[in-house]
Amino acid sequence: MDTQQQSGQEKVVGQVEMTLRQNGRSRMAGNTVAFLRNHAPFNKMQPDALQRFAEKAQIAFYPAGSEIIGPDAGNVRYFYLIESGKVQARQAGEVTVTEYSILSLGAGEGFPIGAVTAGRPSTNHYTAVDDTFCYQLPAEDFLALMASSPEFNLFCTQYIASLLDQSRRQLQLQFAQRASEQQTLNSPLLGIGARSPITVTPETPLRAALETMSQAGIGSLVIAGEDRKPVGVFTRTDLLDRVVLAQLPLTTPVSGAMTSNPFMLEEHATAYDAMFAMATHSIRHVLVTDIEGRLTGVVSERDLFSLQRVGLRQIRQSIDGARNVESLQHSAADVRQLAFNMLAQGIGSEQLTQFISALNDALTRRVLQLNLDNHRFDGIEWAWLAFGSEGRDEQTFSTDQDNGIVFVPPEGADVAELKQRFLAYALDVNKDLDRCGFPLCKGNIMASNPQWCLTLEEWKDQFARWIRVPHPDALLNATIFFDFRPLYGQAELAEAMRRHLLALTAATPVFLRAMAKNALDVEPPLGKIRDFLTDLEPDHPGKIDLKKYGSRIFVDVARIYALASGVHNTNSIQRLRLSAQRLNIRGDEINAVLDALNFIQLLRLQHQYLEGEPGKQGDNLIDPDKLNELDRRILKESFRQARKIQTRLKLDYQVN
Amino acid sequence: MRGLKKLLFRAGAPAGLPDDVRASLEAWRNSPPPDLSDLHFHTRYVVVDIVSSGLDPDKDSLLGIAASSIWQGAIQPDDSFYVDFSSRDGEGAAVDRQLMAFLLFAAKAPLVTYHVPYVGGFLQRAYKERLGLDFQPPWVDLAWLMPAMFEDKAHTVMPLDQWLEVFGLGGEEGRRDAMANTLLLGRIFQMLLVRAVGKQIDTAARLIDESRASSFLRRTH
Repeated sequence: MDTQQQSGQEKVVGQVEMTLRQNGRSRMAGNTVAFLRNHAPFNKMQPDALQRFAEKAQIAFYPAGSEIIGPDAGNVRYFYLIESGKVQARQAGEVTVTEYSILSLGAGEGFPIGAVTAGRPSTNHYTAVDDTFCYQLPAEDFLALMASSPEFNLFCTQYIASLLDQSRRQLQLQFAQRASEQQTLNSPLLGIGARSPITVTPETPLRAALETMSQAGIGSLVIAGEDRKPVGVFTRTDLLDRVVLAQLPLTTPVSGAMTSNPFMLEEHATAYDAMFAMATHSIRHVLVTDIEGRLTGVVSERDLFSLQRVGLRQIRQSIDGARNVESLQHSAADVRQLAFNMLAQGIGSEQLTQFISALNDALTRRVLQLNLDNHRFDGIEWAWLAFGSEGRDEQTFSTDQDNGIVFVPPEGADVAELKQRFLAYALDVNKDLDRCGFPLCKGNIMASNPQWCLTLEEWKDQFARWIRVPHPDALLNATIFFDFRPLYGQAELAEAMRRHLLALTAATPVFLRAMAKNALDVEPPLGKIRDFLTDLEPDHPGKIDLKKYGSRIFVDVARIYALASGVHNTNSIQRLRLSAQRLNIRGDEINAVLDALNFIQLLRLQHQYLEGEPGKQGDNLIDPDKLNELDRRILKESFRQARKIQTRLKLDYQVN
Repeated sequence: MRGLKKLLFRAGAPAGLPDDVRASLEAWRNSPPPDLSDLHFHTRYVVVDIVSSGLDPDKDSLLGIAASSIWQGAIQPDDSFYVDFSSRDGEGAAVDRQLMAFLLFAAKAPLVTYHVPYVGGFLQRAYKERLGLDFQPPWVDLAWLMPAMFEDKAHTVMPLDQWLEVFGLGGEEGRRDAMANTLLLGRIFQMLLVRAVGKQIDTAARLIDESRASSFLRRTH
């Protein structure tokens, strides 16, 4: 028998074997599919996706007490789905970072989704509590399934997002603790305002009552019975309206002139309740009583105002009504305090940075207005521009000034002379802003710099030069100046600049490609062996610059996609959202990116607020070893999203 | 006569065997058996269950084989095998190839089943009649090993369903197909391996010995 014939004949048995193996596989998978159909998210998955899962999922037994996977086991090789039994998830390390420190998992629950998605070791110990059977899907099949099944992908993405959410809540808890050390509107009335207020009985003659007020130097008096239960309030307003103007004799009992049925709150009510009552009933005092209704204190509007030193409306009002830089300095401090409180109340980083920007805008506008008293530009079209993070509405607590001026010289005007006037004005404004806590820009990107105090035509030419000849300097400038936003003056000038810019970038694809190349110069600090690279900043060993290696990556990508898709917004989140729609990037994909950016921003805020010394300029350098386990995980995921979006950019712009 | 039969078997197989099966069989015979002195984790076990028309291996016929491997501590659905003979009576060459395919699939691995005399009996007769092969694989018999390893649960050999009940694996009532049965055997076997390791029975060779010993001891004492 020659060999050729032999191999041909063996193939026949071989083929039969392959067929029977396939039979075996699908019969075996049938059992698994039956299980999967009873559990989410598998019950929503397409039959072919289920079949793939079932054909690849091995079944392993873990006796009670045995560890299934833990941090020491190296990179996770399987996604585990509990078929029967019970598994306990326990966090590694001493710090409890999620809401749970121990979590019990039962049939139909899978783990460790984050680790297997990321191809890293598990951060939890997973131990079988009872005798447990698990389906274990090899990591590569898990990833293939994620790529091919939208339902499964959504499930895993949402799971990771829920981790992000948990971490955010954890962060808020920290802030809340910080905030509760200070008095807030949540404080009970028990500790606010005057204790043991002076009272008189209803029978007291008006003269005696007025003498009492005069001696105690108070503007109002509580009228209470012998049982100290209040029956009325008598104020200076009542004196005018009901005594003097009504010509009431001073021998009349005070009850004849008082306001009856005063508004009362029990002493465990909060300052917020009192404030609400004052606003709804138009009253200026709230009487505080104990549980029996006996008077224990009085809270006045002023008490609450000093307590709520920082309220959004008050700050706005005090900014808008400020007559000089000194009072604006107070407001600037209030902005920080309020931002802090809002952080404590659980406002996300996106809203918070926008909110800080809004108040800072108001502050800057007021500074601009105040300085217009000394500088007159009547009849001249001009606008004050914000650049950089201010231009993007992404200010954290410590942001340099980045600003400029655009103006249109009237026909026949002396441009040089006009520019000198704008520069003088800008210098005053820059100095005042510095005094209000916006440090002068080290790179001198300020309106007082002749380079950035330009006519509309000069700005257009400047933009055109940068775009046509994208030298490194031009690209760097583009990352700052293309994120402009009008803060004061004629906003149309900025719109004209924007239209010009978008027309230029649309006509010059090579520029966007150069921007893309530039944006890819910095990579997220993910290590091949270690989690993070912390030696990128020679002056700060062991630390990661969350701006340079974190948020900036997203910001740079957002800018390019916004320019590419004609998005007018400057805010990175909005840019990504809007350009994703126009560029047909999947919603869940872009949401994961936005979550990552928001998380990094939140960490920056946290770092600047909780760790910065009061009054000192916070930085963006964090030590990942000092983060808790969950934050570290999520930071890593966030950096991965940064890498993902960079990869996309690389593909889109063919940058190698 | 007995000597002649032996000679025939060694030479190969019945005269009607297709050439490709004959060649495969020869290659299979010459293939080295796996090393049974390795730890369970590294040993490929093949769990097997059969379908038959009755309980007597000498009279009733083999209708199907369902098998899957256990390797690195896990049942491998990717490495499974199922053959249904019931629809193919009469077509000899096809059955020969299917039986041969199972040999190739099993690849001389230790076979795990419940009640070797039944499963092994049917397989032995089929291989002898069709391929002229004296099929004597290394067997692990769960029926005998279970009471030996789980003394706390039972002292005697008992039906599979009772073990399933002990471990809460029974699930739904009614007839299971052969593959579902194989899967259950695989799961019981995984549990048994944990016990075996606890008793220092940590290699396939020792487990096979233990299986032989337990069935011998229980049958004779």
